[in-house]
Amino acid sequence: MSSIDDTVAMKNRLRVLRAERDWSQAELAERLGVSRQTVNAIETEKYDPSLPLAFAVARLFELRIEDVFQPESASTRAKP
Amino acid sequence: MNASTVTEPGPRAKKKSLASYIVVPSLFVVAYFGARGGIENVEPRSGAALALALLPVPFLALLIWGYVRAVRRMDELGRRIQLEGLAFAFPIALLIVFTAGLLDLAGYHGEQNWDLPRLWPLMLLPYWGGIALAHRRYS
Repeated sequence: MSSIDDTVAMKNRLRVLRAERDWSQAELAERLGVSRQTVNAIETEKYDPSLPLAFAVARLFELRIEDVFQPESASTRAKP
Repeated sequence: MNASTVTEPGPRAKKKSLASYIVVPSLFVVAYFGARGGIENVEPRSGAALALALLPVPFLALLIWGYVRAVRRMDELGRRIQLEGLAFAFPIALLIVFTAGLLDLAGYHGEQNWDLPRLWPLMLLPYWGGIALAHRRYS
């Protein structure tokens, strides 16, 4: 039996986007109103943010949410 | 949309923080050990014993309230770590109480009985362990 973690693992471009703006993790965390640990966990893909936080990230970088977060592999998505 | 709960603490928040992390825990420890020491020197089931037994309760309630407020101030990962820590700790704490109860029934009381006042500090250990494991997972 597959779990959600197996089927919709996410990858993201947060580290790249942050580096492009020359922001530290602490600075990004402050802009998002979360802890530095949260930013680090998202960047290292150990933690998938909630939908509101993902939208906040996308809005901060003036991108669409799918430009920041993407499923790791379309082929591993859960089938309906 | 509020994605976070982390804010820069002001002077009032710092005062509250000092109370939550230093004053209240210290008062609880003093009240708890004072009560434990005092109860042995008063007549059981007396008014004094009752008052001493209940002395630490308000401080523990304040500690718990402080913990709840601290969790509410955390961001979403902080809350998840707390949830995972508690999800680990609660069954382990049940296991400890369950085992101690059975050992008690079997006559293995140890040097002193496995009563709750001696068991509850053990319940903090799985909580700390669970929090440490959850932190490690997301670090």
